[in-house]
Amino acid sequence: MNALALPVVLPLLAAFLVRPASLVSSGLARWLGPLVLLLCGAMLVDIALLADGQPVSANIGGFAPPLGIVFYADSMALLFAIAVPLFALLLWPREGMREGGDRVSALMLLLVGSGTGMALSGDLFNLYVFYELLAVASFGLVAASGTARAWAATVRYLLISGFGSVLALIGVALIYTQTGTLNLAQLSEFAPERLANPLGLAAFACLLIGFGVKAELFPVNAWVPEVYATAPKRVSALLAGVVSKLAILVVLRLILLVFDLPEARQLLLVLGLIGLVSGELAAWRARDLPRMLAFSSIGQLGLLFMAMSIPGELGLIAALAVALHHLLMKPALFLLAERWSGGLENLAGAGRKAPLAAGLFTLFALSLLGVPPLPGFWAKLVLLLGLGQQDAVLAQAAIFGVLLMAVVEAHYLFRLVGLLYAKTAHDATPHHRGDLAVASLLGLVLLASMPLLPTLAEGLGWMAHQASDVAAYRAAILDSTIPGVAP
Amino acid sequence: MTMNPPDLITILIVGGIGLVAIGAVGMAVSRHLLRLVLALALAEAGVNLLLVLAGYRWDAVAPILTGAAVTRPMVDPVPQALVLTAIVIGVGVQALAVALMIRVREAYGTLDIRELKTRVEQDICGAAGIAPPESANAPGGSQPYPVPVTTSRESA
Amino acid sequence: MHKLASLLFAMGLAALLIGLATQLPLGMTPMGVGQAILERAPGETGSANIVTSVVLAYRGIDTLGELAILFAAATVAGLVLAPSIHAESQARTKPRDDAGLVLRAGSDLLFPLLLAVGFYIVLHGHLTPGGGFQGGVVLAAAFFVSFLARPARQPSHVGVVLIEALAGAAFIGIGLAALLGGGAFLQPLLDQGTLGQLVSAGSLPLLYLAVGLKVGAELSGLLAHLAE
Repeated sequence: MNALALPVVLPLLAAFLVRPASLVSSGLARWLGPLVLLLCGAMLVDIALLADGQPVSANIGGFAPPLGIVFYADSMALLFAIAVPLFALLLWPREGMREGGDRVSALMLLLVGSGTGMALSGDLFNLYVFYELLAVASFGLVAASGTARAWAATVRYLLISGFGSVLALIGVALIYTQTGTLNLAQLSEFAPERLANPLGLAAFACLLIGFGVKAELFPVNAWVPEVYATAPKRVSALLAGVVSKLAILVVLRLILLVFDLPEARQLLLVLGLIGLVSGELAAWRARDLPRMLAFSSIGQLGLLFMAMSIPGELGLIAALAVALHHLLMKPALFLLAERWSGGLENLAGAGRKAPLAAGLFTLFALSLLGVPPLPGFWAKLVLLLGLGQQDAVLAQAAIFGVLLMAVVEAHYLFRLVGLLYAKTAHDATPHHRGDLAVASLLGLVLLASMPLLPTLAEGLGWMAHQASDVAAYRAAILDSTIPGVAP
Repeated sequence: MTMNPPDLITILIVGGIGLVAIGAVGMAVSRHLLRLVLALALAEAGVNLLLVLAGYRWDAVAPILTGAAVTRPMVDPVPQALVLTAIVIGVGVQALAVALMIRVREAYGTLDIRELKTRVEQDICGAAGIAPPESANAPGGSQPYPVPVTTSRESA
Repeated sequence: MHKLASLLFAMGLAALLIGLATQLPLGMTPMGVGQAILERAPGETGSANIVTSVVLAYRGIDTLGELAILFAAATVAGLVLAPSIHAESQARTKPRDDAGLVLRAGSDLLFPLLLAVGFYIVLHGHLTPGGGFQGGVVLAAAFFVSFLARPARQPSHVGVVLIEALAGAAFIGIGLAALLGGGAFLQPLLDQGTLGQLVSAGSLPLLYLAVGLKVGAELSGLLAHLAE
């Protein structure tokens, strides 16, 4: 299905054309972005409906893989691919100077194009290119807030990200020298014989840290607090919610297809656990809301890495559950933090002044913590079950860590909620209507998912089953192997 | 492993890794932003070299057909294409870093990362209306969490 | 303390890599995809320079991403360096003097030469080493040399934006034309011609032309921004 390339390419085209469009008419430039995003979202949904549950692939350039690059869309990829333009539309930046506004539009479009590409691509280096595009676009969006502290935070982010990409390229070089190909499907064929050795593990570690920068993996997450605090909150929402999930999707594909090794999973578990503990403890000590949310995000993504370390379909279900829950929740929390960016004391009594916002915040906080029957509870439960099924000492330690950190989370979240509903009121600026609307929408979705949990669980299970069927992946892509490219 | 052809390629590999290592060490110990960016550029150059080496073959020629009969094997063209892309990406990121550095220098008057760290922290806390941390060892201040608001706000 | 840890990490990384590298079968890599491309590229794309056929045909969408990254970097630089209302930047926009005679004369001589070399490299991308990116950088250098000599005369911003955007759109447009024509996105179009001739390899030289123009315009704009 060659149209699969369009949702990736059209946003790029629109990004190129935004600035000349503004020479023609400023209205055109303003609406070009959202319209293109709407179109791409519609196209993706259309593809999903046409595919009817079967994976579809597109050979870019007409060259069959492994010579050419292939885009592959199974249900998991489509889910995240649809989420990108959707959330970009929801979180489209509001204000901005006229000159800056065009550039910000272009950057958002580039973010969407590269994000969709990352979700759909089936080639390792192509993933790297889209990842770098995503990185540069996010640098720009963070720096767009125009404040000096944002620029400084962006420089830090850039340096860490740059070093991460050096490591990722080393990983690519290692893989290429061992296997001679970059196509994920063919790599999954070669992996058991050529990559199940220390060299392959080193390649995985390099790729993990390289792609893990965006996924807020320990140890490359030093950039997170400052960036999320100084960027415009919609951008933080986009980064924490959507972009991190795309990076995680890449790691997930690598684990499923190429590096199905116990050592690789152990590495994920260790790094995830450290991320969880360090994130939650730092959030406990945070004194302003955006950074508290940033640290909490690090912690949640640590949970996500731990979920990915669980082998088999259960691990995939756990990872998808935690990921989707975080995807819904973190952007909403950051939107609410837009007007509450001050120190935590300033939130006192906000429950009175902004009842809807405070109520939403409480809802999300409870779900984040994992209070039944909210979805967060079920996600954590699946994770704990998955960890419990393994015998390793590490897994048991991980369970203990999760529960302990839940206690820490409860402490700072309840403290915050208590502050919201405290008696004395503080002068708080009201929330922007748009922010509140989107946050309420996300809250509604969260609540609506509760009665639908059985169907959701079934859907996730089926998605996990499809995604972990490596043989089907290979068959769908390599159905006509090129003569002469012998394994 | 017996090194059949020689040392040329070993030298190149060690050189490539050496560049990456110098870049990494440079990034670890530098205090000045410009040096950090340059160290990153070095590391990127090293990785590009390693990538090109991944396609190397003994006694092979460049993959360009010149009309003459092809007698010798050709080098792998794919890593060369990869490196083309990687170099351009690196250039873009470096240019961006320089632009940001100009602005940071203009705003803060310094490019020393330690000073910048404290200044940015102060900035963020200032914007949030909370007191900046007293020292790096106690980023939460002496009172790590907010005082109950029933009492008057004392600075932490 | 933190520096010591980073230093140890870097040393460990180097040791790891060197240990790994001695195990790598360098020089004797299994060239699965590479070998297949070497055999099939001239036939499938008509380009004498096989690396070009990889860059534009087999991995065309990587090149598109690369173009987009350069575009993004230039956009962000423009965003960050946009003149603000600070008094300092106003003080900086004082009129600049032209450079001395030697530099001016030299740049006047070099400018057309650099343009010619740049276009040569771009257009012969499918025949000799080179191509859009390399040629585009030379083109940008042409404009920058003239800018160094006469700082007051900057390349027109509108022109730069237009060329950048239209060249980028042309690249995608050629790819989309292939898609609309029933094939896949970025499938090589047009007649392949004879190997080794200037007019050969179908749409590949056109793609590289678009790339060269885009890169040239972008970098010129970027350099102009940085100089402000």
